[in-house]
Amino acid sequence: MNQMLNNQSQRAQLPRLLMALPEDEVIGAAARFAEQYTIEDIKLPQAGLGLMQLKDSALQEGYFLGEIPLATAQVVLTDAQQNRTEGAAQIMHSEANLARAIAILDAVVSAKLTGHEGVAQLLARGLTVLTEQQSSRKKMLARTRVDFSLLSSAEEEDADE
Amino acid sequence: MGYVAIKGGGQAIRGAEDVLEALRASEGMEGAPLSIDAIENQLRLLTSRIVSEGGLYHPKLAALAIKQSQGDTLEAAFALRAYRSTMPRLMETQAQDTSKMRLIRRISSAFKDIPGGQMLGPTYDYALRLMRLDLTDESPEKFRDIARQFLEQTPEPNLPDTFPKVVEALREEGLLPQAEANEALPFDITREPLIFPVPRSAALATMARAETGSLLALAYSNMRGYGDVHPTIAELRVGYLPVMLPHPITGELTEAGEVLMTECEVVAMYEDDSNHGKPTFTLGYGACFGHNEVKAISMAILDRALQKGMKEGASNPSEDPEFVLLHVDGVDSMGFASHYKMPHYVTFQSDMDRLRTTQQKHEDSKNTKMGDAQ
Repeated sequence: MNQMLNNQSQRAQLPRLLMALPEDEVIGAAARFAEQYTIEDIKLPQAGLGLMQLKDSALQEGYFLGEIPLATAQVVLTDAQQNRTEGAAQIMHSEANLARAIAILDAVVSAKLTGHEGVAQLLARGLTVLTEQQSSRKKMLARTRVDFSLLSSAEEEDADE
Repeated sequence: MGYVAIKGGGQAIRGAEDVLEALRASEGMEGAPLSIDAIENQLRLLTSRIVSEGGLYHPKLAALAIKQSQGDTLEAAFALRAYRSTMPRLMETQAQDTSKMRLIRRISSAFKDIPGGQMLGPTYDYALRLMRLDLTDESPEKFRDIARQFLEQTPEPNLPDTFPKVVEALREEGLLPQAEANEALPFDITREPLIFPVPRSAALATMARAETGSLLALAYSNMRGYGDVHPTIAELRVGYLPVMLPHPITGELTEAGEVLMTECEVVAMYEDDSNHGKPTFTLGYGACFGHNEVKAISMAILDRALQKGMKEGASNPSEDPEFVLLHVDGVDSMGFASHYKMPHYVTFQSDMDRLRTTQQKHEDSKNTKMGDAQ
């Protein structure tokens, strides 16, 4: 998991890490930046659906498996010196407020704005949650690894006895 | 058939809602309302069924739909479909790659040894179908300890995040046809009606949100002899697929969330290439939201049967795209069956009038014949 995170940019992993945490906490963390920055919506936060396309692994043809909840937001943060930093988020969620909060934190992290260290701590906690989640899934696999072996005729006779 | 509007019954309809609510809470002072989390986790296979049949991956809303419909799967899927119809479509994703699934189960009935190994995961396949009477009086303390104990007692495994696909190994050996890139825009069944012939993408999308029992019944007809797929499961996998969307500013692929899904590839009878190429096995493919293995397997069998039907004409019902695709949707079929409960007083009155007139004519004709005979 850690290796995977190192291989991808922090910005690309940010929504996933933040969504592993309680929603209120993420929205609260983003709200604190409103004291230091003017936050404007470049695009109105929206909640709706996305149609999810897959490629079938048999014939490699695209098809739509179904829909997923989707929330999007794009914001710009302006500081007292009129420096502008954009942030955006596109997440599988039905709350536009959460997408807006993640968009704000995306701007903070990408430009290392004042207070980004606090967000880094949130990301680290998100990583811990996801690492535990992935570990528990792997344990389900490890605990049930099966090695079917063919029954020899001698064993078959034993088994019948 | 003609339909007429009716009026009245508003009070009785509100009363019916009250009766439903009263029955839901009929445990009285001893009862406690079901939490959405409890439904989502403890009835996870039911929740899985609703996310796939509702066509929307939203386990929380699916659990709510199960609660409000008091466990009726068709009503729950209907509620989820109704919800989705009120929401705006924000985007169509690019094709997601299921080889990136974070698996919790992976088996093959074609090969004993598959690259990465077989792992049974959560399954009832080898369980004894005996009643677990200990669950009738389960203590909350013991219940809360089950998952913790499982995690503590299982050592930290050294496993990769993803596993290779069995069909790709078969393809590399030349036992399957080479996949050809198909960039055609998939058919969107939520926006376009099925007018036959339809492309395979329409068939896959329709079956992915079909009612499990309907899909199983038609696939079973093929298994029992009304068809000749004779499938072997190359791979059945259950896991969480990361949904990758472009970052709105950088365009970099970013994980927006993940969906639990089931995917199955079946290998069917080999066929000679009509262009005198090398004979290869043929494949059927099934997938759905949630953990629903019977649905994915049934879909894979029907996909293979429909491929044959589309290519050579249908010899059996399960090979006929129109027969299969127009009869597997739970909301459609439940709606049609349920509409017979609505008042049909005028149409039935008309039927009775016609019958009485015909009976009178029959009687008159009989009397005339008797008169002629005398």
